Amino acid sequence: MIPLSHFMLISAALFCIGLYAVLTKRNAIQVLIGIEFMINAAILNFVAFGRFDRIAGGGQMFALFAIVLAAAGVAVALAIILNVYKHFRTINPDKIDTLKD
Amino acid sequence: MEVLSFSANALCLLSIIAVAFPFLSFLTIMLGRKSPGSAISIFNTSISFISSILVFISVWNGEPVQQQVEWFSIGSNVFSAGILLNNLSVLMMVLVSGISVLVHIYSISYMKGDINIHKYWAYLGLFCFSMMGLVVSDSLLLIYMFWELVGFSSYLLIGFWFTKDAASQAAKKAFIMNRIGDIGFLTGLMIIYSQFGTFDIVKLFGSGGMIDSASIVDGIWISASTEMPVIWLTIAGIAFFMGAMAKSAQFPLHTWLPDAMEGPTSVSALIHAATMVAAGVFLLGRIYPLFDSVALNIITIIGVLTAFIAATIALTQNDIKRILAYSTISQLGFIIAAMGIGAYGESIFHLATHAFFKCLLFLAAGAVIHQLHHHKEQHNMEFDHQDIRMMGGLRKQMPVTFIAMCIAAAALAGLPFTSGFLSKDAILITSFEWAEGYHGFKKLVPYILTLTSWLTVFYIARLIFKVFFGKSRYTDLHEAPTSMTRILMILSFGSLFILFSFNPLSYDGSWILKGFAGAGVKGFDRLHLFIPAIVTVISLAIIFIAYKVYGGRAVQTFPEKGLLYRFSNRAWYFDSLYDFLFVRSTTALSRLSYKFDKLVVDGLVNLLATLTNIISEVADWFDRNIVDGLVNGLATLARKTGDFARQFQSGKLQHYLLTMLTLVVTFFILTYFI
Repeated sequence: MIPLSHFMLISAALFCIGLYAVLTKRNAIQVLIGIEFMINAAILNFVAFGRFDRIAGGGQMFALFAIVLAAAGVAVALAIILNVYKHFRTINPDKIDTLKD
Repeated sequence: MEVLSFSANALCLLSIIAVAFPFLSFLTIMLGRKSPGSAISIFNTSISFISSILVFISVWNGEPVQQQVEWFSIGSNVFSAGILLNNLSVLMMVLVSGISVLVHIYSISYMKGDINIHKYWAYLGLFCFSMMGLVVSDSLLLIYMFWELVGFSSYLLIGFWFTKDAASQAAKKAFIMNRIGDIGFLTGLMIIYSQFGTFDIVKLFGSGGMIDSASIVDGIWISASTEMPVIWLTIAGIAFFMGAMAKSAQFPLHTWLPDAMEGPTSVSALIHAATMVAAGVFLLGRIYPLFDSVALNIITIIGVLTAFIAATIALTQNDIKRILAYSTISQLGFIIAAMGIGAYGESIFHLATHAFFKCLLFLAAGAVIHQLHHHKEQHNMEFDHQDIRMMGGLRKQMPVTFIAMCIAAAALAGLPFTSGFLSKDAILITSFEWAEGYHGFKKLVPYILTLTSWLTVFYIARLIFKVFFGKSRYTDLHEAPTSMTRILMILSFGSLFILFSFNPLSYDGSWILKGFAGAGVKGFDRLHLFIPAIVTVISLAIIFIAYKVYGGRAVQTFPEKGLLYRFSNRAWYFDSLYDFLFVRSTTALSRLSYKFDKLVVDGLVNLLATLTNIISEVADWFDRNIVDGLVNGLATLARKTGDFARQFQSGKLQHYLLTMLTLVVTFFILTYFI
C-alpha cells in the first residue's frame, strides 16, 4: 500500500507549481490554470486523507464538492477575465494596476 | 531852506522811501514776468535819489534825527530798530543814490542785449536797497544785517556772468573774504552788547553816550552796568576794523577786489569803486569813538600799508580794470589811514570825492571796453579787449571819453582844480601835522602817503598815455553812445573842485569838511603852502616822465622783467601766498584726514565687517547643517519610509499575492523554527 506521505509530497509539489504559475505568469488564463493546480492539490489531499479516515467516503464527498466549486469558480473567473479584457484590452496582470487607490 | 524843512516824521518817511524803492524794483522784477525792468529800476532809483536830496537839504548841519520802534525783545532785553539821520548818513545817502542813478542810466547802453538783463536790474535794486539801509540804520544789529545783504548782492553782481568760470570763482572769493571780515564784525557786536547791553548807535556813540561815560580804571573798562579788562576795548575796535577791512578791501583781505572786476564794468563802478567799499569806512565813521589809541595805530598802519602796496601793484598791471581796482584799494588805504590819524572829516571828504572820480574812471574805462568789444565782434578779431597794450591812440576816436578820463585821472593824481586835489591835500597835510607830535615809525606815515600819491600819479599817467596816446591800431572805432558819454560829462563835473569848494586851491572852504565837527584847520601855514606846491610840482614832473616813457610808444624803455617787475605784476604774490598758506594747507589737511579716514576709521569698520561676516558664515553653516539638517533628516526619514511602504501597494494582483505569501511564510518560519 502506498503511504500517505507520497500523496502529501505530490500534493505539495502540485501546490507549489500552481503558486509559482499564479505569481509569475503574464497571462490571466495561465494564472487561472495555476489556481486550478492549487485546488487540485487540495482535492488530492482530501482523497488521500479519506482513505485513512474511519468514516468511509467522507473525504471523497468533500472532494466531489470541491470539484464542483472549482468548476463554478473557473466559470466566474473566466467571466471576470473576459470583462477585464473588454475593459483594459489586455489580460496581462502586470499591466492592470488599478487595485491601488 | 525854510521852504524845504520837514518835520522829523516826514524826514523818516522820506528816508524810508529812499531805502525801500530800490527794493520795490527788485521785488517787481523778480516776481513779475520776464520784462527788461530798466524803466522801473531807473524810476525807483530816481525817486530814491530825490528823497535823499530832500532829506539831505533839511538835515545837513542841522539837528540829527532819530526815530525808532521796538523791534523784538528777548526776555527783558528790548531790541529797537530805527532811522538815524545825521551829517554822515545823509551825505552817504546822496552819494549812494546819486551814483546809483548815474550808473543805472549808464547801464542801459552798457548792458544792452544781455540775456539776463532783468536779473541785472533786480540785483542792482537789491544792492541799492541794502546800501541805503546800511547807511540810515540806527542800530548796529540792523547795520550788520544790511552789511551781509550788501555782501550778498555784491556776490550776485560779481558772478553776474556766471557762465564764465573766472566770474563765478571771483564771486566766491569775494564772498568768502567778506565772511572773514564779518566774523570780526560779529565779534565786535558781541563785545559791545555784553558790555553795554544795547546796539543803539546814538546811545552808544553819541556825545555823552555810553562809550564816553565808560571809564578806564587800573586796566578795567567800566560801563554803567558791567566791567571787563580794557583789552576787550582794543579787541572790539580791531574786530570792527576787521569787518571794515574786508568790505573796504584793506590789506591783508584786499585780494578779492581785483578779482571782482570780472563783473560788468558798471557794477564795478557802482559797487567796487564808489559805494560798497565805502561801507567799511562808513562803519568806522559810525563807531569812531570806540577806537582807542592801539586800535587807531593798527588802522593807520593797515591803511598806509594798503595804500602803498596797492599803488606799487597798480604800476605794472596791464588789465585796465585791474589798474583801477588796485587804485581803488590804494585810495581806500588813504581814507582808512586818514581815519587812523584822526582826520575824520578829511577821510569822509576824500571818500566823497573819490566816489565821483573813481566812478568816472570806471565808467570811462567801461566805455572804452564796450567800444573795443563791439569792434572785436564786428571784425571777428581775437584779442583781450581789457588789455591796455591792445589800446592806444583812442584820443581822437573817443574824444569825450578821453577828456572825461583825463579829468578823473587828474583828480586821482591830485592835480589842482580837481576835487582830488582838495581832499588828498587835506589828508596829506593833516598827516604831516599829526606826525609832528610823534616819534618813531609814525614819522614815516606822511612820507609813505606822499610817496604813494606820486606812485598814483605815475600809474594813472601810464594808463592814460597807453590807452589814449600814440597811434591807433583800429581804423573805424567810434565814440561810445550818447547816453554813456552824457553820464561821463555829469561825473566829470562832479570831479572838479566846484562841487566841493569855491576856492580851487584850498580845502579850508570845503563844505563837507565844515560839516564834520572837529575838523577845524589848525594852522601850520608853512605846511599848507609847501606841501601842495611840492607835491604838485613833483607830480607834474612824474607825468612828464610817464609821457616820455609811454607817450610815444616808440620803445619799451620800462623793463618788463626783473625781480621787482614780477613782484609788482603778480600783486606781491598775495594770491600765491594765500593759495599756499590756506588753500594748499587745507587741501593737505583734508587729504591727511582722508587717509586717516580711509586707513583707520574705514579699516576698523571693515575689520568689524569682516568679523561679522565670518561669524555669520559660521552661524549660517550651523543653521544650514545642524538645525536644518535635523528637520530635513526627519523629513527624509519619513519620505524614505513612505517610499518603502509604497512599494507594497503597486496595484498589481501578483505583487499583493507575493507579499501575502512572504508574510505567511515569514510568520510560519517565525512560529515553527525559531
